Amino acid sequence: MAEIAAVTERQQALKKKTKLGRLIKQWDLQLMVIPALLLILVFSYFPMYGVLMAFQDYNIFKGFLDSPWAGFKHFEMFFNAPEFYKVMRNTIVISFLKLVIGFPAPIVLALMLNEVKNMYFKRIVQTVSYLPHFLSWVIVSGFAISILSTENGSLNMLLQSVKLIDEPIGFLAIPEYFWTIIVTTGVWKEIGFGSIVYLAAIAGIDPSMYEAASIDGASRFKQIFLITIPTIMPVVIIFMILAIGNLLSAGFEDLLLLGVNPVLRPVSDVLDTYVYRTGISGQRFSYATAVGLFKAIISVGLLTFANLLARRTGNSLW
Amino acid sequence: MIASGKLPDVIWLDRGADVERLRAADMLVPFDEYLDKYPNFKKWVGEEAINMLRSSDGKIYQFPNWYTSQPIGNSGYLVNKKIYESLGSPVIETTDDFYNYLKQVKEKYPNVTPFNPDLAIDGQGLDVLFGGFANDYTPAYVANRAVPQGDKLTSLFVDPVFRESMQYASKLFREKLMTQDALTQTKDQVKEQAYNGTAAVFAGASPTEYGAVGDSELKKKDPNDGYIMIWPVHKPGVDKNKVWTGTYTQLGWNVSVITKSAKDPEKIFAFLDYLTGPEGTRTLFWGPEGKYWNGHDEDGAPIFTEAYDTDVEGRTKMMDATVNFQWNGNSVFIDKSKMKHELTLPVDKQSWEARWQNEITWKTQDNATQFINMAPAPDSEEGIIAASFEEIYKEARAKALYAKSDEEVLSILDKAEKDAQAVGYEKLLAYKTAKWQENLKSMQGN
Repeated sequence: MAEIAAVTERQQALKKKTKLGRLIKQWDLQLMVIPALLLILVFSYFPMYGVLMAFQDYNIFKGFLDSPWAGFKHFEMFFNAPEFYKVMRNTIVISFLKLVIGFPAPIVLALMLNEVKNMYFKRIVQTVSYLPHFLSWVIVSGFAISILSTENGSLNMLLQSVKLIDEPIGFLAIPEYFWTIIVTTGVWKEIGFGSIVYLAAIAGIDPSMYEAASIDGASRFKQIFLITIPTIMPVVIIFMILAIGNLLSAGFEDLLLLGVNPVLRPVSDVLDTYVYRTGISGQRFSYATAVGLFKAIISVGLLTFANLLARRTGNSLW
Repeated sequence: MIASGKLPDVIWLDRGADVERLRAADMLVPFDEYLDKYPNFKKWVGEEAINMLRSSDGKIYQFPNWYTSQPIGNSGYLVNKKIYESLGSPVIETTDDFYNYLKQVKEKYPNVTPFNPDLAIDGQGLDVLFGGFANDYTPAYVANRAVPQGDKLTSLFVDPVFRESMQYASKLFREKLMTQDALTQTKDQVKEQAYNGTAAVFAGASPTEYGAVGDSELKKKDPNDGYIMIWPVHKPGVDKNKVWTGTYTQLGWNVSVITKSAKDPEKIFAFLDYLTGPEGTRTLFWGPEGKYWNGHDEDGAPIFTEAYDTDVEGRTKMMDATVNFQWNGNSVFIDKSKMKHELTLPVDKQSWEARWQNEITWKTQDNATQFINMAPAPDSEEGIIAASFEEIYKEARAKALYAKSDEEVLSILDKAEKDAQAVGYEKLLAYKTAKWQENLKSMQGN
């Protein structure tokens, strides 16, 4: 018995040594990690002391150290604010819609592109579809506003010329249309870029699997559902977890730029735009920080929860 | 900087709370003893404005920029000349004339937008319309969200004039006489319409900017095309000389203060005083004597050379280079000198902007100096009320514009009034009233 224990001990010691040994062996590679770690430390962790503002009555002239503490005052104020219900509802609905529609869209595009056999066509589609990712929201919303305009808007002109409508529709003035517009423009902008990852995952699939399947008589659709999708599932799940962690980030620039019409406020106001308006424009720094912190805490919770679910499938993030 | 106490000799900053903070911390040098020794400040800024600039201890610590004692501003109505003439140049004086004209445009030119109120989301054309519905009702009332009644400021939503102007605007919108994109259009879209002549009338806070460019663009294709401005329209019964489309304040917006760190504050003041006087302004604004001007008349106005009119590019380049050094620009002196020169030129050689400023816009801007500094600090109780109020106001104005009937406009405004009172509008009005009364007092020199 004692002998066995001694052996395992020695084995463990050896293991430890080899771990350290491996680290030392790869010292040049490990060195390359340090800048990334520093970057995260300096730009993500260090500024976190700023969240203390949420518990202070921050005064820009007094600074951090001399501003009086206020406890949970700002949180309470937010929970009791008349905008609370509206802002929370919009945030959840918009981000949920973006998740349900915006998340599968690039996967579908990648699957479809994978079936395109003409390389030129495939390349052109890929390039064209991922270009919008590099345009800023200022430009994209400019496009959207002029397309959706009531006067000389291309969409209205199109619908009128095919006699679907008699009078132009004020798309950007009707709250019912807003969520559709925001989700559509978001998908249009990001679908191509989002599909790159999935295309890469698909490219990694062993072609012999498809060959075997076609010998067994599997149709193209069967191949997609039985080979392609299950093989890229781990990638899909990882991105899903990240997307769920971002669930409360309904978007910011797009909503700010496309939702300018005050009539849309009841459907367009989300946590981020609310923080921007009260904090930056209204200079209520502590209050805005409290709202932002509230959002961050819920996001971390959601991320952990999604990861927990994913662990069951064996594809969790950590 | 404020916290460390190491201040530069001169700080150029926004007029308002920060100046008062610096003064209260005893960091600033008062100008009072220099005023008589160096005459330009007193002469050009003027007694009334100096009183407004005085701090609570009665001394003066700040030197304003672009202060003025005469109206400035560009707001008003811009009319497409070709369309106007093709419809027989009808008289457009009253709001009824205006309505009929827009209707005519819509009939004859189905592809032209009859009326574009610029970025109506910020007020703009809607505020310009507002000014025509009563004698001496300035857009400052809308901008401050408060209407003076006697010595108190009262709610905008219940003000009959505001309500009537919103009904009128809503009617224009409902009958598609106003662009249906009024609240969503971007500045680029406004400019596009102006440069292509696809709207018959524009109104806004500064339509002269795209009016001047649009005028020359349209004239390239057809010399008879272009833009004119019209005297602001008014409701029948309102005195046309008491209609205001915009406002100006006497005090500019930035100020220079001299700090106690300065070794010789008197010399600094003397320099600022020189800069704001005729010689300093001439030199800084139009460059050194000899190139674009030579000598000056009895008022100190420069006598411009031929190069001033011919070498526009070089002149603009020179003026752009010094624009950021106009710390205490003297609006009246510059405008008068420019205008004096413009008026010596034949009409077709005059700059488009100068012509309409002289004929209309400067005559239709009201002095709103009494309404300055009325916004509460954003983190104060009144500031939080103001933020909530602002949301209610913006939504109500948009909904009122989209209303299906005149009655609906009123019910939207009634509901807005109720919502506003619920967040504490009355308290905000009381705060603004107190500030306003303070302003009035200090303007009279008490």
